[in-house]
Amino acid sequence: MTNKDRTTERDGETVDILVIGAGASGGAASAWLAEAGFDVMCLEQGFWQDASKYASASPDYEFEMMTNWAIDPNVRQRAEDYPVNVSESPVTPVMFNGVGGSTILWSAHTPRFHPSDFRVKTLDGVADDWPITYDELEEYYDLNDEVMGCSGISGDPANPPRSPRQMPPLPIGDDGMRLVNAFEKLGWHWWPSDSYINSQRYGEGRDACNFCGHNHMGCYQRAKSSTDLTYWPRALRSGAVIKTGARVRRITTDAAGRATGADYIDSKGQERHQSARAVIMAANGIGTPRLLLNSASDSHPEGLANSSGLVGKNLMFHPFAMITGVFPEKMNSWRGPLSNFAMSQEFYETDRSRGFVRGYTYQFQRSLGPAWVARGGFTDPIPWGQGHHEELEKRLGSMMGMAVIGEDLPELHNTVDLDPELTDSDGIPAPRIRYTLSQNSRDQLDHAIANAKKVFETAGASDIYVDPMMQQSGWHLMGTARMGNDPAGSVVNRWGQTHDVDNLFIIDGSIFVTGAAVNPTPTIQALALRTADHIVAERADLKGRAR
Amino acid sequence: MSTRTPNAEVSEAVVSALLDCLIPAAGNLPSAGNMGLATEVIRLAGGQPRFWGLFTRAIATFNSTNSEFVKLTGDDQDLAIRSFEVDHPDLFGALLDISYIVYYKDPRVHERIGWEGKPPQPDGNVMTPWDESVLDSARKREPFWRRV
Repeated sequence: MTNKDRTTERDGETVDILVIGAGASGGAASAWLAEAGFDVMCLEQGFWQDASKYASASPDYEFEMMTNWAIDPNVRQRAEDYPVNVSESPVTPVMFNGVGGSTILWSAHTPRFHPSDFRVKTLDGVADDWPITYDELEEYYDLNDEVMGCSGISGDPANPPRSPRQMPPLPIGDDGMRLVNAFEKLGWHWWPSDSYINSQRYGEGRDACNFCGHNHMGCYQRAKSSTDLTYWPRALRSGAVIKTGARVRRITTDAAGRATGADYIDSKGQERHQSARAVIMAANGIGTPRLLLNSASDSHPEGLANSSGLVGKNLMFHPFAMITGVFPEKMNSWRGPLSNFAMSQEFYETDRSRGFVRGYTYQFQRSLGPAWVARGGFTDPIPWGQGHHEELEKRLGSMMGMAVIGEDLPELHNTVDLDPELTDSDGIPAPRIRYTLSQNSRDQLDHAIANAKKVFETAGASDIYVDPMMQQSGWHLMGTARMGNDPAGSVVNRWGQTHDVDNLFIIDGSIFVTGAAVNPTPTIQALALRTADHIVAERADLKGRAR
Repeated sequence: MSTRTPNAEVSEAVVSALLDCLIPAAGNLPSAGNMGLATEVIRLAGGQPRFWGLFTRAIATFNSTNSEFVKLTGDDQDLAIRSFEVDHPDLFGALLDISYIVYYKDPRVHERIGWEGKPPQPDGNVMTPWDESVLDSARKREPFWRRV
């Protein structure tokens, strides 16, 4: 069937809120709004996941990890994925399409922004300040921690005091202690990470982590938090509806330019329309600008909500460097969560004597099984042929890593736009990424690499390998529909409402003004809850009927 | 996910010879080809259409300049592979990946390297429990986050 053959079916009732995307932010907002009595529908192009079919439960898990369960949609190529043109980007965006979104394949490392992250212009004279503060967001961080379930411990001197964590931290392990001891010898900060992985039973039917080591591959144990396990059950119990296999073609608008719903293609390939009183975009920092640009109309000729021209601009990743040490001893470093048990923020805040502004976080990393080690893990593959077995013996169970997450500042020339030729399987124009690493980001990474080498030397590593910038590291998709008070300089206001369209909201990483130097999901979800709270308090006009 | 039936363009003999070069004998085990792993390499490579396309392209490209590969001596085979590795790093990478994956999931290899052969789930692993005393030193530091 071609697109021309299809006729559009109009779905029955007008819903109050139509959420586009069922991931980290879409799940949070859907649950909050449904519980407040709004009639919520979510369109998700992917599907529910069966935990028993995650790659980690397959004997062929290492093959599955690089093919059907790859983090890169261009490699995975499932029907529900859309291609991304990355030919002009040294960083490949990675994501997952399904109920739970990228929280299905994330590592669940959940640090918060620092107060200074909201004031980078004032403090450091770069980028822009957020129109909100850490204090305004704190209660939503706490709410989100409670729903997602946070293992960790308060008292970190690198961060403001925070409420008691729901569960104790994940174990550091003998391998982790090698790095911890080195940080302490150097007099540098470290702290157990906040992590949305259960260190004990927590939540609905969610067990404690059994340290399988492959939490990024989907958690059979349901110990790793993902919104299909946390927010979505609540949303569905409160009457929210989720349509899976529903790929949105465009957000529709009326003659006045207000959002009226979405045209989408259902799981059977039928063109449909769902009408709504308001639309919330939760399709990530690439999917959301793609859809807004695909929704150009007479009233929004440059793309929906794009009078500022900033939709798709200021794309930020967190470029990752990875430093790996090989130790003389076997530490069974495949046991335990891969990458979220401890971190260091010694170099987080700006110190201009370092030659750059802003800073970075170190995230401690473990390693995985023999094929992963042979394929190089975070380094080059082990040589084939002569000497192969000796090198594998040296590295297996003896490798630890330090990932560097540096703050990538917004730049107008880093963009998401529509590729002139590439489309998804439904013929919808696909996104194109154009991204270059700034000198400030490069300087951060180089500083971090030099200091990580000191850590590994202090810890007694026999070999140290450096990947100065991992290609497949574009987990954190931010900035492409930024927040601000000035409609000429931003896409959404301080509540996530677009300046141009009063019944269109954005709640994913697109709205970040700056990206900080931490994993963004708790901040994305806190912002989503805050926007939902605002709608509940201020937008009774969007509620069609009393529930 | 569907598993593709190997087709005639992928010669098991060539894959086996490649495996022998890539992963030589170790301990009580012969080289990977002589362990009979070529069949599994071809089967597993068919587990995803994109990867199968990459794999068959790699084999076809390799064959195009090495039609007599299986008849070469070991040193010449190594030279042929190294040349392929330099000329076609992506295709070679796919061959190396699947070779390592199949080799290191074999129970005989697990026994040789002392690895407990299982998928990561549902069994998991045992770790030393969290011990708060590890924070004794870190807790002594004064807060140093930047106030605004």
